[in-house]
Parts: sequence; C-alpha cells; structure tokens
Amino acid sequence: MSNTSKNTTPPLLIVDGLTVDYGTKGVSLRAIHDVSFELRAGEAVALVGESGSGKTTTAMAIAGLLSPNARVAGGEVRYRGSPLPIDDDAAMRPHRWSETSVVFQGAMNALNPVHRIVNQIAEPCVLHGMSRAEAMARARELLELVGIPADRGAAYPHQLSGGMRQRVMIAMALACRPSIVIGDEPTTALDVINQAQVLKLLVDLRTKFNLALILITHDLSVVAESCDRVMIMYSGRIVEDGSVADIFAEPKHPYTRLLMDSIPNPAEGKRMLRPIPGDPPTLMKRPLGCAFHPRCPSAMAICATEAPHLNAYGKGRVACHLHNSLAPADKVSVNA
Amino acid sequence: MSEGTVQSLSRIRARAIKGFLRQLLGHGGAQLGLVCLVFFVAVAAMPNILVGPLQTAITATGDFLAPPSGQHLLGTDDVGRDVLNLVAHGARISLTIALLATVISLIVGTIVGITAGYFGGWVDVWLMRLTDFFFVVPSFVLALVITPVVLEVMGRGGEILGFRPSLFVIIVVIGLTSWAFIARVIRSQTLSLKERTFVDRARIAGSSDTSIMVRHILPNLVPQIAANGALVVANAIYIETSLSFLGLGDPLQPSWGTLLSLAQRAGAASVGAWWYLGAPGICVLMVSLAFVLIGNALDDTFNPRRRVIP
Amino acid sequence: MSRRIGAIFLRAMMTLLMVATLNFILFRVIPGDPASLLLGGARISVTAEQIEAQRQSWGLDRPLFPDQVVDYLSATVHGDFGYSFKFRGRHVADLILERLPATIALVGLAQFIAILCGVMLGVYAGWRRGGGIDHVATGASLALYSTPSFWLGMLLVVIFSTALGWLPGYGASSPGATIGFVAWLLDYLRHLALPVFAVALGLIGQYVVVARAAMSDVVTEDYMVTARAKGLTNGQMLMRHAFRNAMLPVVTLVSLNLGYVVAGAITVEAVFAWPGIGGLTVEALNARDYPVLQGVFLLLGVSIVIANLIADLAYGLLDPRVKQ
Repeated sequence: MSNTSKNTTPPLLIVDGLTVDYGTKGVSLRAIHDVSFELRAGEAVALVGESGSGKTTTAMAIAGLLSPNARVAGGEVRYRGSPLPIDDDAAMRPHRWSETSVVFQGAMNALNPVHRIVNQIAEPCVLHGMSRAEAMARARELLELVGIPADRGAAYPHQLSGGMRQRVMIAMALACRPSIVIGDEPTTALDVINQAQVLKLLVDLRTKFNLALILITHDLSVVAESCDRVMIMYSGRIVEDGSVADIFAEPKHPYTRLLMDSIPNPAEGKRMLRPIPGDPPTLMKRPLGCAFHPRCPSAMAICATEAPHLNAYGKGRVACHLHNSLAPADKVSVNA
Repeated sequence: MSEGTVQSLSRIRARAIKGFLRQLLGHGGAQLGLVCLVFFVAVAAMPNILVGPLQTAITATGDFLAPPSGQHLLGTDDVGRDVLNLVAHGARISLTIALLATVISLIVGTIVGITAGYFGGWVDVWLMRLTDFFFVVPSFVLALVITPVVLEVMGRGGEILGFRPSLFVIIVVIGLTSWAFIARVIRSQTLSLKERTFVDRARIAGSSDTSIMVRHILPNLVPQIAANGALVVANAIYIETSLSFLGLGDPLQPSWGTLLSLAQRAGAASVGAWWYLGAPGICVLMVSLAFVLIGNALDDTFNPRRRVIP
Repeated sequence: MSRRIGAIFLRAMMTLLMVATLNFILFRVIPGDPASLLLGGARISVTAEQIEAQRQSWGLDRPLFPDQVVDYLSATVHGDFGYSFKFRGRHVADLILERLPATIALVGLAQFIAILCGVMLGVYAGWRRGGGIDHVATGASLALYSTPSFWLGMLLVVIFSTALGWLPGYGASSPGATIGFVAWLLDYLRHLALPVFAVALGLIGQYVVVARAAMSDVVTEDYMVTARAKGLTNGQMLMRHAFRNAMLPVVTLVSLNLGYVVAGAITVEAVFAWPGIGGLTVEALNARDYPVLQGVFLLLGVSIVIANLIADLAYGLLDPRVKQ
C-alpha cells in the first residue's frame, strides 16, 4: 500500500482480504471479494461505484452492520491493531457509534418519526455511558454545532426540512466522538443548494475533529470537494485506488475513465450525462475473468478468463490487465 | 392499430397471465385454498348426485342424534337426518349466498369508488361520508336490523328467483352493506389512475366520462377487485352464517349457519353431539380460510409489498 | 389541532345521524303505522295509554318531514327509544341499561385478553419473521380469523362443559346457593370464562395478523438500521423504536373493531344464553321486537362512534405527525 507508506503512524483501520457472502434460500451470493485497504486517522476516503458494486456492504462491514443473512467468508477488519468481530452482532455493539458512526442517506426515514430529534441525538450517548442530563446537554451542543438552534431540538423529524434533517443526522453521528464517520450517500436525497451546504458541513467538522471519513457515493463530483483518496469499486472488488488528484488527472482503469467521462462538464459544453454502455453485473450473474470486460472498450482476450489482481501502480493501486506488468504472456496465448 | 401489434399485444398478455398463474400457484397458501375451494364447489354443484336429495324429518333415515357410523359418516341430527346430506346441501346454499352477495358488493363498491375517485370534489366528499358510515358500522349489525324489517314487509312465503324470501333478503342486505371496504380501495386506485397519461389521451380524444371510467380505468382495477373480492366472500360467509345462526335463515333451504342454529336449538353442545355442530362449522372454517388464503396470495402476487388483511 | 378534533366530532355526529335516520326509516317502512304495529306486535302486553303516549311523542298524526323526524330525533336524544313489544311494554332504554353490564364485562375482558395476547404474539412474530413461532402463530391466526366465534363457543361447550365438566356452559349464575359477594363473583366469573374465551380467541386471530403485518413493515424501516448502528440491543430496538411505530395501525384497528367485537359477542351470547345485549337482541329478533332491535342498533352506533373518537385521539398522541 504504497500510497500511504510515507506516513509512519499505524493505520486506524485495516481491511484485509475481506470477502462477504449473502445467503438467500440456500444460494450464496458474493457481495464483496478480497477487499483490502487502510484508513488513517483524519483521512477522507471515497468509495465510488454503481449500486451493487459492494461499496455499501464494505462500509456496513466496517460499521459492524452486516445484515443477519451476510457471512464473512474470508479476511478481517482490524481497528487500532485488533480484529473486529464483525460477524458477531452482540460483540460489535460497544464498537458501534462510539468508534464508527454512520450518516445515512435520506434522513427522513433514518430518523424515527415518533421521537423528538434531541432525544434521538442523546440516545447513543446514554447507551455509551453518559448520564441522561449530560447526554441532553451534549445533544443541544451538537445541534448548535451543525447550525440548528438548540431549542429546535424539541421538534419531530417531519417538522424539519430535508437539509435540516441531514444536519441532525450529522449531529447524531458525532454524538459519541467517533474516530470514523461513514457517510452513506449523505447528500443524495437533497437539492443542489442543500447538497453543497451539507457537504461543506461534513468536511468542516471532519477537519475540526480530525475524523476519518468514508464517503459512499456514486457521484464523482461530490468526491473532488471532500476527499483525499478515492477507491473505485466494481462488482464486489476494488478496481482502482489512488489520491483524488491522481485519479482525476489520470484515471488508470477503463471503468474509472468512463466514470470520469460521465461527469457533466459545463465548461466543455458537455451537459448531457453520458451513461456507460451495457448493464452492471448482478450478484447472481457475474462475468468470468474481469467483471468489467463485457462493457470495457479496451478488453483483451485475457480479460474474459482471468480476474486481474489489485496491484500497486504508480502511487496508487489498479486491478486491470492493461496495467499489469506481471500478466503472464504464455497464459494469454493458452486461453486465446 | 395494425394486426401485428394486436397479435403481439395478445401474446404479451398471454405471457403475463401465464407468468401470473405460475407465481400464484407457486404460493403454498393459494394451493391449499384452491384445492379446498374446488372440493366445496364440486360438492355444491351436485349434492343430489353425491348424497341424494335433501332429507326432511319425514324422509330422515337414521336414529336421533346418532354418532358417526358406516351408514351415516357424519352422524345424524335430532330428527334423524343424515348430517353429511345436510352439510352437502348446505354448501350449495352457503356458497351461493356468499358469492351473489359478493357480486352485489363488488358492483356497488366499484361504482361508488370509481365515481368518487374520478369526479372528486363534492361527489367524492359525500360518497366517502356514506362509505365511512358503512365502513365503521359492521354489515352484520346493519343486516341484523334491516333483514327482519324487510322480511316483515315482504312476507316469508313463496320463492324469489329460486330462493326463499329470507335468503334472498340476506343476499341483498349483505351485498348492500359490505361494499365500503371495496369502495375505499377502488377510490384510492382510481385517484392514481386518473393522473396517468392514457386517461388524458382518452379525454383529449373525446371519450365521455363514463366511457373513460368503464373502458380505461376499470380494466386496471381488476387486480384490486379480485384480491379484495376473495376477502369479501370470506366476510359474506361469516355474516350469512351469523345471521342464519340467529334464526334469520330458512329451514327449507338450510345453509351451514341454519344447521348450526338448529344444532344449538337441539342442544347439540350440551348433549355432546359434536358431529352435528362440528361438521357445518368445519365447512365454514375451511371455505372462509380458503378465500382468505387465495385473497392473500392474489394480493402478494399483484403487489408483493402490501397485504390486504386489515 | 383543534380543527382536526372539530372535523373528528363532525364526522362522529354524521355517523350517529345516519344511524338514527336508518332507524326512523326502517320503523316507518313496516306496513301500518308504528303505533298500531306496536299494538299488533305487542299483542296484549301494551296498554292503550302507552300507545297514545307513543303516538303523541312521535307526533304520528303530523307530516313525516320535518315534524316526525324532528320529534323522533329529539325523543332519541332524550333517551326515549319507545316501548318493548315483548317485555310487557317496558322502556327499551331500561331494558338495554339492565343488560349492558353483562356485555361490557364480556366484551371488555375478551378485548383485554385479546389485546394482551394477540398484540404481543403478533409483534413477536413480526419481529422474528420467518421463525418457528411466526409460522405457528400466523397459521393459527388465519384459522381463527376465518372461524365464527359463536362456533368456537359451541366447541368450547362441548369440550370444557359437556365432556370435561370443568366450566358451566349456560347462563350467568348457578341456581341455588350463591351467598355473599365473593361466592357470587366467583360463580359469575366461572360462567363468564367460556364466552370470554370464545370472543377472545377470534379477536386474537385478527390482532396477531395486524400486529405482525405492522411489525414486519417497521423492521424494514431505515430508522431501525440507525438504531442498530447506534449500538442498541435487540430488546432496546424493539421497545424504543419498533414497538410504538408498530402500534399505530394496531391502535386504529383495535378501536375501530369495537363494533365487530360487539357484533361477534351477540352470537356468542346466544350460544351461552349470556344475559347481555346479545341475548336481548336474539330474544328481540325472535319476537320481532323492533323497538328493542333499534335501540340496540343505536347503542352500537354510539359505542362505535365513541370508539372511533378514542382511536383518532389516541392516534394523535402516539404519532406526532398527525397533529397539524
């Protein structure tokens, strides 16, 4: 992991070869495959991919929120040096929210409609050891922090605007002073103005409290303004990992390149969003070899038979036969 | 529309219906319900062939309140009639009453719902007031008050359309009092359907309101009508059984409820004649369960996320 | 808030008005004028003075509308439902009031048991959807839901009264020695047990189905994921976040259901000869005692309307979203 080797402090979080399956009716479907990365304190990483790419499963595994039908088929997650029991629901409880919290998308449904927001913010504080009075004081302080007057705390979620609800969600995420905050498409449900404001708030608070941020999104334009590093996921694997500057300047993986092209760029007069041709693979039906090869403009013979490894390339990592100097030439001819 | 499009449309429809049936029949509950229903419909269709003509006190063949035996599989009643014979004929009466009452309910409920939803405004407000009334006041209670009065007016003798007057009245009263639930469902569906483009297109093309409602909206309501219709049948069976149990049925055309009423009057429970009261009760249970299961399965198939059972 | 309550009361009044109107129409549809019907139906039990009093209080010699309607409504509002045919010309209101406590005991106890068992079982089944208890509870509930409760009552009599001899299956008191309040109460409760059980079993079926459906909707909500992410235990998630939300549809159903519960109780009372409103209804039905039937109908209308009011107000307390 060369991109962070210059940093001498040990990483906050290490995801090592994580593989997660979902079991439905006796069939086991692989959601993420051999996902490995590190996260340092205060670092902001974006997880980018289409729906079904495994970005949400990866994040939920880190937060200890895998659903009951998920099974860790391999690999592990280490937090501050010790492995997390991510497939043990009860054992993960003390870790949740106090170490890793989540800003969910579309805060209308993520907030309970029948409880006052101040109580919802205070709830995890009480769970993780504060007295009721301390927790309420903390909740009011957090509301002010995200720009909501503390006396609005008595409101119910439906009495707030979408942007306000998302701010409440952010306040809630900070309640137990976590080291990692996961933003699960935190701005998707908002209009453009609120999107920008909420994103700025998240970035400011991240800097202020030295939070590690994992931002899940399918929108690359959000990434540029808020993250240091990007990991692109496709069909359950990380296909490219690098700094925002590098990836935006020179995407290596053909998929990343197509994603970049699909960002509307008013400066160049390309106002239309250009979709990537072909359909994303489903969990049930995943192509052999590189999962992207059926849609890849530069696919080669080997791509249909062998999945490329995520190898170091330049300052980042990429999983593509185009950039794989170790590609065994003889194997290509055998399979061709 | 060219002939080719018509053909491909009908092919698409055939495929959709086939897929729908496959999904419905894959439903365990629906299978159970359908088997049950087919059995009872067969019994109701030919009771004379299966168990001979309806026995009366004069043609009764057995002892009084004899328990089940080889000769009388379900025992006999207090005047010696064969309970199997009574129950098989009761199936015909009970199912006919329930189905006809349901047809009336569905027609009234659909007309009210579609009119309220389509026209909106004051029509909607007043029709829904009416619907609310029938929704909160149980149709059984309404029927309990209305049926004896109507019978008083019409008299109990003779036959109307092959039914004894009390059964005819029960059919109409159940039908006219249990449509509110259907009207609500149909109205909310109509509200969303009338915003669709095909309705606008029909309106621009000059179709009248009636024609839009009948030819464009109604066909799209069939799934809701079918799924909820099954539940209305179950409810109608329940009401008919209860009304007949309280003595509003007709002993000359005994439904299952009437049989239960006779069993109660004969003191079947206190002398332990479980076969006499058990047989009609099990029939009621099985038929209404069958309709509930089919209704649920239909609803699951049409819209997997929602459930009809209130 | 106040506008909402105003609308609720207006709707309640409309329902009552329609019940009264139906009563008015029904009684006048019967051939002959109501007073002579009263004479005929009552056979010898009503005195001429009573009929004359009735004629005057209903104003039968005046036009149908508005005079008779207004008089009828005002008599009804004042609790004057007329005289019974069957019970020797007694006031219908008195008859009903006399029978009301027995029905309240039956329906109240059955509702209480059904809510307790049905809602808890349904909530649990929905919370652990697809589990063993869920399958058993759902299957049994659908069967109970499809069974007329009076038939359940008859089965209970056969089993617990006739075959086992554990509990009485008839009436509300044993003939003979029940001296003192405690002995009377115990005897009353023993008689109440089977009817309550019959009504409650049918209700449990319904409540399980509804509570389960409500709960299985709630567990898929996003705020349940939030609750889990916050580090709540399963028990805390159930009690603090799921239960109250799942109760919203249940509260509505339980209150709206009252009319159906009383309707079901009518038939159950008939099975057990329980001396409540149901028993009175059956007697009135057999004697074609229309004033009593209509009094019962009005009573049911009023109780349904009250239950509706309670449901609407309770919903407002449980769900902050309806306040505006």
